[in-house]
Amino acid sequence: MDVLKQLLGRLHPIIVHLPIGFVLAGLLLQWYGRKKNELGKVAPLLFFWGGISAVLACITGYLQYLGEGYAFDTIKLHLWSGIATALFCFVMVFRLKGSQQPGFLQKVPILFLSIFFFILISVTGHFGGSITHGEDYLVEPLPNHLKSALGFETYEEKTIALNEENWQEAQLYEEVIKPILNNKCVSCHNPKKEKGELQLHSQEGILKGGENGGILVVSEASRSELFIRMDLPKDNEDHMPPKDKTQPTKEEIRLVGAWIDAGHPFDKSIGETGLEKELFLSFFPQKLDNDFPDIDIVAAASDSIRAIEQQGVHVDPISKATSFLQVSCINKPAFTDADFELLLPLADQIAILDLGGTQVTDSIFGKLTALPHLTVLKLDHTEITGKNIEQLSILEHLKSINLTHSKFGEPHLSALSTFKKLRTVYVYNTLVKSDGAPKPDDGKIYIDYGDYEVPALPSDSIVY
Amino acid sequence: MDTLEKLIQEHLNKDAQAKTRRHFIKNCAGGLGGLALSSIFMGCDPLGKSKTASARTFSERDLNPLATLAPPFSPKVKSVIYLHMAGAPSQLEMFDYKPVLHKFHGQDCPQSLLEGRKFAFIKGTPKLMGPQAEFAQEGESGNWVSNFLPHFKQVVDEVAFLKAVHTDQFNHGPAQLFMHTGSARLGRPSIGAWATYGLGSENQNLPGFVVLTSGGNTPDAGKSVWGSGFLPSVYQGVQCRSKGDPVLYIEDPDGISRDLKKSTIDAINKINKEEYAKYGDPEILARINQYEMAYRMQIAVPEVMNINDEPEHIKQMYGVEPGEESFANNCLLARKLVEEGVRFVQLFDWGWDTHGNIREGSIDMGLRNKCTQIDRPITALILDLKQRGLLEDTLIVWGGEFGRTPMQENRGNKEMEFKGRDHHGDAFTMWMAGGGIKKGASHGETDDIGFAGVEGRVSVHDVHATILHLLGFDHEQLTFDFQGRPFRLTDVEGEIIREILA
Repeated sequence: MDVLKQLLGRLHPIIVHLPIGFVLAGLLLQWYGRKKNELGKVAPLLFFWGGISAVLACITGYLQYLGEGYAFDTIKLHLWSGIATALFCFVMVFRLKGSQQPGFLQKVPILFLSIFFFILISVTGHFGGSITHGEDYLVEPLPNHLKSALGFETYEEKTIALNEENWQEAQLYEEVIKPILNNKCVSCHNPKKEKGELQLHSQEGILKGGENGGILVVSEASRSELFIRMDLPKDNEDHMPPKDKTQPTKEEIRLVGAWIDAGHPFDKSIGETGLEKELFLSFFPQKLDNDFPDIDIVAAASDSIRAIEQQGVHVDPISKATSFLQVSCINKPAFTDADFELLLPLADQIAILDLGGTQVTDSIFGKLTALPHLTVLKLDHTEITGKNIEQLSILEHLKSINLTHSKFGEPHLSALSTFKKLRTVYVYNTLVKSDGAPKPDDGKIYIDYGDYEVPALPSDSIVY
Repeated sequence: MDTLEKLIQEHLNKDAQAKTRRHFIKNCAGGLGGLALSSIFMGCDPLGKSKTASARTFSERDLNPLATLAPPFSPKVKSVIYLHMAGAPSQLEMFDYKPVLHKFHGQDCPQSLLEGRKFAFIKGTPKLMGPQAEFAQEGESGNWVSNFLPHFKQVVDEVAFLKAVHTDQFNHGPAQLFMHTGSARLGRPSIGAWATYGLGSENQNLPGFVVLTSGGNTPDAGKSVWGSGFLPSVYQGVQCRSKGDPVLYIEDPDGISRDLKKSTIDAINKINKEEYAKYGDPEILARINQYEMAYRMQIAVPEVMNINDEPEHIKQMYGVEPGEESFANNCLLARKLVEEGVRFVQLFDWGWDTHGNIREGSIDMGLRNKCTQIDRPITALILDLKQRGLLEDTLIVWGGEFGRTPMQENRGNKEMEFKGRDHHGDAFTMWMAGGGIKKGASHGETDDIGFAGVEGRVSVHDVHATILHLLGFDHEQLTFDFQGRPFRLTDVEGEIIREILA
């Protein structure tokens, strides 16, 4: 018998669509039939069958409630509105066809009844949908600001901001663990949704655990369900969050584990728990190390770019995310100092300039000062000797200079120490020699003298 | 001749007899209907999109498929040199030091590791085989390198190791395809094809994607490992030979001067231009462009592929063998190509399939010889790129198609003449060096005997995602529409391996 109950119960989601179809079709015909044509006459027939199927839906629905173990509170609205819909079907039939109608019913206009009927069946359907799909099924895809405007609680992404100075003072739970759980777990584990009877939005909820009991084992992450579930491979059925939701990063999972291992303190700062700094590094602000300044500029006019490209000079945006350009003369070895004027329309945008293998001479340095955002400069395989290179010191973004295979001379090396951001200089195969060359600004600038050797070893010639 | 004509006539007669009036009427109806239908639906241009040639605008890409494009994000590197050791090198004798495996040397492999498993050659219960090389921690990073690679320790602090890469293929062909195209089945574009498709190439006189093999066997998967799959074929790798003509027929034939060649191409292009004026098909412009590029390549390719003009100390550094096909020569060529702005250089070395069935394929002898062949050139390549300031713009990737078993191979369930290891995809080592890579890093760890990864496991897709990331792409966004859906190199997987990024 139980089997039959469950089976019939599970037919409910199919059968409910019958009354919906009948009633909506009936209402539609009634609407078309309002001009006294024949169509409206069919409506009572449809409402009658709508009523019959609605009764069937009520029965199967009730069986499903019994068979699937829903709480009465969850389904009560749907149950009562469902029964009301079924009854109202017959009221409509009676109102439209009945011969002996009680007076009060006659007084209500049919239009009013129809509208009420429409609302009733819609609301009943919505209640039913909310049971199977969850309360927030329709709201969930909306963007956060819309959700909160509609009065729904949102668990907004909160960024975790630690930095060099304050990381030890930050509260481990409040400022790190809680935001991780909030961003990745709480949208399903909150007082409203409570999947698996687990709430992760608060200390109480975390300590209470879920339907299978506690989720924390003191100081043992590897036995704590909270950590185990997150740490499982993504394909594992028990992995949390579910595969299609936003996943926590490896660092976040590791940190949740570390927090549990430290005895899941709720009111200690990171310093007090003694956790290693290395665990938190991924939450520190990321230093950008791009080959262009960290500022916004206006994009170059595409006409000026095209004009320069027609001369054989290669101009490319560094990426679609920035307006800075890289310019290369790889296809124009005949490029001379005079040709530099060509580039001036792009002076603000050029960040990477490759003049390797061209005819430029030392007088290029004076001209290069016109490129305020120059970050990477390549002058390899040229005739430059380095005279006047100190003029480049006004380029405050210049990070790297490649002088390999040029005539660059040792006396000019010291001029580089006045460069503000210069980090790397390549002087392989120039007149600078690694031994005894003056080192500008010890340590701050890395000078690659090259001339690496891979000395032959006796083993090189052994054949086994 | 007569007989032939008779035969043809007879065939036509038979054909005519077989066709009845009904066939004719049916064909008429169908044919006319089809014609009518095509005009109703406006042929292949249902929205009437095509306009006259003059009204059309073309992107630079229509005219030159290798025109450069900006990547979506700021790239860390401009070029990639991918060193593939075809046959699969043994991680257990090179980088993945397993002292515990020594202890179990000669003992039966635990059944738990063998249950339900299939190996390429191992049958029954194989015996574990300890590392056949001696290891030491090298450099400031203290990463393990074996004595099979004495030069490599000089650059160990430049590279980042991936110790627990895994693949689901255990035969060379499919595994190589997977490693280079993201799919073990034929038909997908290779990484180099994706890179040149996405970024184009700066040097207009050279191909954007060059492949060099060390002679001997070509990879088992054939040329598909540098193929373009469903991408336009212009993005496939151009295989250059390091011996003889770098590209076949690149020299003009005897008696054809450079001028004559030029006027030939000019004449062809003139006809093509007239053709273009008539039909407005951008493919024609692309073709004109290709002719011109081929003409320029005739000079540029032999120039860049010539290592004889390199100074002696550079040749010695790599240990090149002029006039031969060798991995060392190819490493030097790779540097020259990257220096000239080639986007993707793929090197294949062969002979790494160390099963222990022959002396050359033995772990303690053949493998050691192979290591000697690559040790110095790779070390030189990294240092040479570094001193030229190119290493910060270049990514070097090293690896095979899978790894090798901690067990000694027992082909046919018999003890073999030489020491060998079978194919093994559960865990193997790869490394990367160059721009955007965290120097001296080591990510991932295998279990005590090196059978499987226990921490930091990364898949082939993850490696691809990381390579594309360094080139400035989101691997999920770089797609190509084919057969009704967008395809990408990493299929539906891949996560960037941030642990090895600087």
